[in-house]
Amino acid sequence: MTDIQQTVYVVEDDEAVRDSLELLLKSDGKPVKTYESALAFLKDYSESMAGCIVLDIRMPGMDGMELQKKLNEKHSILPIIFVTGHGDVPMAVDAMKEGAVDFIQKPYREEALLEKIEAALAQDMEQRKTLDEKQEIIRRIKSLTPREHEIMDRMIEGQANKVIAIELEISQRTVEIHRSRVMHKMGTHSLAHLVRMVLSVKNLIDAK
Amino acid sequence: MRLSFWPAFNYMTEVVSENSEVTVLLVDDNPQNLKVLYETLKDQDYRLLIANEGEKALDLARRHQPEVILLDIMMPEMDGYEVCERLKADPETADCAVVFLSALDDLQAKVKGFSLGGADYISKPFQSQEVIARVKTHARVIRLERELQARNRELRSDQARILNSISEGIYGLDEHGTIEFANPAAAVIMRCPVEDLIGRNFFETHFSTAVECPAGLPARATCSQGVIENQRDIRMLRADRTGFPAEYRSTPKYDGDELRGAVVVFRDITAELESERALEEARELVQEQRHQLAHTSRLTTMGEMAAGVAHEVNQPLTAITNYARVAKRMMSAESPNLGLLQETLDKIEAQSHRASEIIRRIRRFMKKPATGKEVLSVSALLEDTRQFAEVDARNNEGAIELVVPEDLPDILADPIQVQQVALNLIRNALEATRSAGSELPVEVSAGMTDKGCVRVEVRDHGIGLAEDAEEKLFLPFYTTKDEGMGIGLPTCRSLIQAQGGEIGFERPEDGGARFFFTLPVAGGTASCLSTDENTSEVD
Repeated sequence: MTDIQQTVYVVEDDEAVRDSLELLLKSDGKPVKTYESALAFLKDYSESMAGCIVLDIRMPGMDGMELQKKLNEKHSILPIIFVTGHGDVPMAVDAMKEGAVDFIQKPYREEALLEKIEAALAQDMEQRKTLDEKQEIIRRIKSLTPREHEIMDRMIEGQANKVIAIELEISQRTVEIHRSRVMHKMGTHSLAHLVRMVLSVKNLIDAK
Repeated sequence: MRLSFWPAFNYMTEVVSENSEVTVLLVDDNPQNLKVLYETLKDQDYRLLIANEGEKALDLARRHQPEVILLDIMMPEMDGYEVCERLKADPETADCAVVFLSALDDLQAKVKGFSLGGADYISKPFQSQEVIARVKTHARVIRLERELQARNRELRSDQARILNSISEGIYGLDEHGTIEFANPAAAVIMRCPVEDLIGRNFFETHFSTAVECPAGLPARATCSQGVIENQRDIRMLRADRTGFPAEYRSTPKYDGDELRGAVVVFRDITAELESERALEEARELVQEQRHQLAHTSRLTTMGEMAAGVAHEVNQPLTAITNYARVAKRMMSAESPNLGLLQETLDKIEAQSHRASEIIRRIRRFMKKPATGKEVLSVSALLEDTRQFAEVDARNNEGAIELVVPEDLPDILADPIQVQQVALNLIRNALEATRSAGSELPVEVSAGMTDKGCVRVEVRDHGIGLAEDAEEKLFLPFYTTKDEGMGIGLPTCRSLIQAQGGEIGFERPEDGGARFFFTLPVAGGTASCLSTDENTSEVD
């Protein structure tokens, strides 16, 4: 799952800029896909896309800022590097508030752009890894029986086996068996790790 | 000898018959003869005077200038011949018709009478019919002669008055150029009394080049060949050899078929030239200020477009940077792909041209002053303007659609100023479109009017125009924009008018606004003014 192919998505209306950027990134060994408008990218977008977007902030029709909003609505986690012109800094600041990773001003130095792209790709990789891990945790939680789930919740709250046994009116031995199954299914030996795992996905589960 | 038979008869007293116009003097020493003559003529509506001797006759004649004098030859003291002589010698009485009366019927007497200036001769005893007829004839002749003279005198004095009061100098020249006549204005202009001018040579007096090249001098050809001349801004010299600019007209003077010199009418045009110069300067100043205003307006436009322009220049620069880096990478490879490298370098070149094209366009637009009228292709000019305006289209997120028929004739206009107007209208249209939140493109089109002019239209689907737009839109400093200065459209109007075109707007039925301007076709009419009632012309 973590070996996913990362692509640099270039959204730029100017043909020459688009073409030169594609050549540049390809010569640096990066997979590149280019789009001549925000709308074209939006049509092609899917959750499975990995990598980052190099997005011109100023375009006829739908501009970069609007595309960012649409992608946010779709819970896209693709990092965005905005390419701005002279005097577009206030726009770039707004874009950063909306979650853009970075912005770069035209005309840019190749090193600066590549650096920003590398950082964006790393962030994407990191986010994607974390996301994969979380999804694994959720998958494991879902494999628990209702009883095991109940026991795990009490374990996380810090209740001792004895307390759990009394409250659930089962034997302490039974609690111990469930507890061992929970630890096994969640793939851990440490209660501290279990607590951290469950808390990391708490918001995701609550959202569902 | 006294008349006693007629109490009312008083010598030396005129007897006036009412309404008489013609005066007849009867002179005879014989009262009987006088009475007969009087009786003969009294019903003829003459004013009759009588005298019975020469001295009295002369005295009456001087005082009353009779037309006809019936004069007896044989009189004591002074005879009729002497009276006649003295009458003719006095200018006051010289013109009257003297008709001698005498019994003498010999040839000698008649010849003598005629030689002394007599007009006619009546023999005694008179035939009353003859007397009446002769007096009547002579009275009429003298009357007509006097009227003619009076008319001539009147004319002469009229002419003199005209010549004296005319402000132009007038010379009468003989065929050699000698001044025969000069009016008082000529004396004033030449600063020399009339009598000093007369007799001088026109060419030598008034032209410094008279000695070395007399042939081409003003009025020369008129004097020698009868050619009419009319020239302006000729340098003439006064009597004191100071110069002044003059306009003159010379016409030949003929005596029958024979050329007798020329009449030259001239005037000093120093003041005229001065006011013409002042007018020209004022015109130039207005023109200069119009250009200044247009230039200021262009600078304002460029200021407003600065961000877009920077973006527009940054695009090729960004591409160039990228391509250059790609090229470097290719070269650092072990065996560089030269074909690909060539291709990349070509792309760099193309982008560099693109950047310089943008800058060229801006520089040309900012140039001052305007370049003057040229023969222009409308489609090329509008395409160039569209590309220029796309800087704004990007900012306004609008689009521009251009439709120009291929067979549209070229126009004669100043390219910068026409572009300025077109750009202004397109930018306004883009802004109106954006304000209305419309997605429809701004439509720029061109065609022909029925007057044979090219008409360019800029149509938008924006918020439309206010009701009072007709009154206000082209007024200086009127603006509907927050940051507008209100000099755009007034400048457009003055620019288009200076090209011989007109500018205006219409409200399309399906909303938005349509601005248009017309321009003369190259080699066609110089003006496109129309009187189309359906449009909101702005004058």
